[in-house]
Amino acid sequence: MNIFLVLVKKEIKELLTLQVILSIAAMLVVFQVIGKSVGSQNRSTASRNGLVTVDLDRSALSRRLISALAEAGYEIKPSAERGIEAALAAPAQAAENSFLLIPAGLEKTVNSGKKSRVEFYSRFKKNASGLGPVLAASRTRKAVAVVSGELSYHVLERRVPGVPPALLRNPAPALEFAVVDGRAVEVPLSQVVAFIQSQTYFFPVAVFFIVILSAQMIMTSVAGEKENKTLETLLSSPIDRRLLVMSKLTASAVIAAALSAAYMLGMRSFMSGITAETSLGAAAGTAAAGPALAKLGLLITPSGYFLIGVSVLFCILCALSIAFILGVLSEDLKSTQAMMTPLMMALMLSYLLPIFIDLSSANFGIKFLLYAIPFTHAFMAPQNMMMGNTAQVLRGIAYQAAIFTVCVFYAAKLFSGEDLLTMRLKFGRKK
Amino acid sequence: MNAVEIKDLVKKYSDFEAVSGLTFDVREGEIFALVGPNGVGKSTTLKTIATILAPTSGSVSVFGLDTARDAHGVREIISYLPEEAGAYKNLTGKDYLDFMALVFLRDRKKAAAAVAFGSELSGLKDRLDDKVKTYSKGMTRKLLLARAVMIKPKLAILDATRPTP
Repeated sequence: MNIFLVLVKKEIKELLTLQVILSIAAMLVVFQVIGKSVGSQNRSTASRNGLVTVDLDRSALSRRLISALAEAGYEIKPSAERGIEAALAAPAQAAENSFLLIPAGLEKTVNSGKKSRVEFYSRFKKNASGLGPVLAASRTRKAVAVVSGELSYHVLERRVPGVPPALLRNPAPALEFAVVDGRAVEVPLSQVVAFIQSQTYFFPVAVFFIVILSAQMIMTSVAGEKENKTLETLLSSPIDRRLLVMSKLTASAVIAAALSAAYMLGMRSFMSGITAETSLGAAAGTAAAGPALAKLGLLITPSGYFLIGVSVLFCILCALSIAFILGVLSEDLKSTQAMMTPLMMALMLSYLLPIFIDLSSANFGIKFLLYAIPFTHAFMAPQNMMMGNTAQVLRGIAYQAAIFTVCVFYAAKLFSGEDLLTMRLKFGRKK
Repeated sequence: MNAVEIKDLVKKYSDFEAVSGLTFDVREGEIFALVGPNGVGKSTTLKTIATILAPTSGSVSVFGLDTARDAHGVREIISYLPEEAGAYKNLTGKDYLDFMALVFLRDRKKAAAAVAFGSELSGLKDRLDDKVKTYSKGMTRKLLLARAVMIKPKLAILDATRPTP
């Protein structure tokens, strides 16, 4: 009979209450509903690609501009009105937000070598919210670029016959190279950064929640056993006390992993609804740049993912063992919240600071502080693996393993002696 | 052989002396009650016999085993019911007895027999299938008493089993 499994099973039964299961289900439903509704609204906003054209010139050039816009994917809706005010006020176009005014005499003016203009009007509703206005602004910018390009081609074809207009517009296209560890590959830096962000976007959030959840669970479990005096009964049993410690750590880690998976599923569904439209271009660009990124050594290999997993595992184990000790020091269940503070602060530091500062160029004090926190190594692991800093990840894992071992030994020592029942930190009490 | 032998037991928490030079014996088969006013160290003494606390000085032995030097051996033959103890609230009464029997006996057959005995002793019948959090104080106490006795320990240490009026 495996007494360890009996202990873990009991811990899981105690921790996984109906309330916990219901709250996970509710969280999944809420995220799913919000994500779906946001996503469908964004898609409907994005599908509105209409552009009302008020063509007062009615020339070959104006027709060329309009057909270029149609080719670029805009749904052209010609207006019969003779002015922009009338077109904006027309009931038939009341639902339209984007308008293009091509003034009379455009072709004539441009052909005579003088400057003319076209006008774009974007209707902004005062009560507009969500991503609709952002997407509309982006569509207008693209339409402006299409029209400007087409006008340039028109002028260049007329003024410099015999020379391809594309050559005249951009005789020496600028190529962007990203250099990583001395290797230069033709890929825009923006795509490299977008790729790194896309790979590491969810990761720290997931780790953060796993750590918080598991730490809270084990602290509540230990403090609860102390308060209910069920711990005293267990301590008087012939079970090896190290097994008691390990069973609590294992059960908390298992439940925390399940909770975090549920959370991340919900979060992913929620975020995909929001970012589906806006990140489409970036994602496509990143996919296209895949071979270039591989040449730069920025793609994580299966063994790289394995090392990241090991780092996260030790991060969770470190948090659990520290939370276990804090739980032992807690006066009662209520005081566990206060006891969580130092752990939360350490987590926040290791999670947030690397987002805002470049650790490689940070001063020694900040580096020392961050790398002394075992969680930092897990947060930094994906980036380090992408950059080929395998040794750094391995050093981090070794450090985390050392911290975990020390904490488990200390926790087991606390469990072995009477300190478990007599040692506590008091908050807000005067002697 | 005495079931319990306590000689000059002193237990201090920092500067506070909870037990000062206590000496007594309990014979095998004897039902021994430790009675006294609140705060004189009764629970501390019982916790020391149950190997949860270590004596500051003096000695405590259970069936000849020293609680400080051979704590594991003592734990094999005792059963301790703490004062105002609770049970795991999200387990059913039956699950609680099952778990405790396995923890103390580490043998499924022996544990099953102990649980059958404990279920009978508790008198909780069908309520054993309900979660402990639905029990009244009295029902919880019955369950805990059954738990303490069902493994048929050589020494049962029951702290304030009858609440002070």
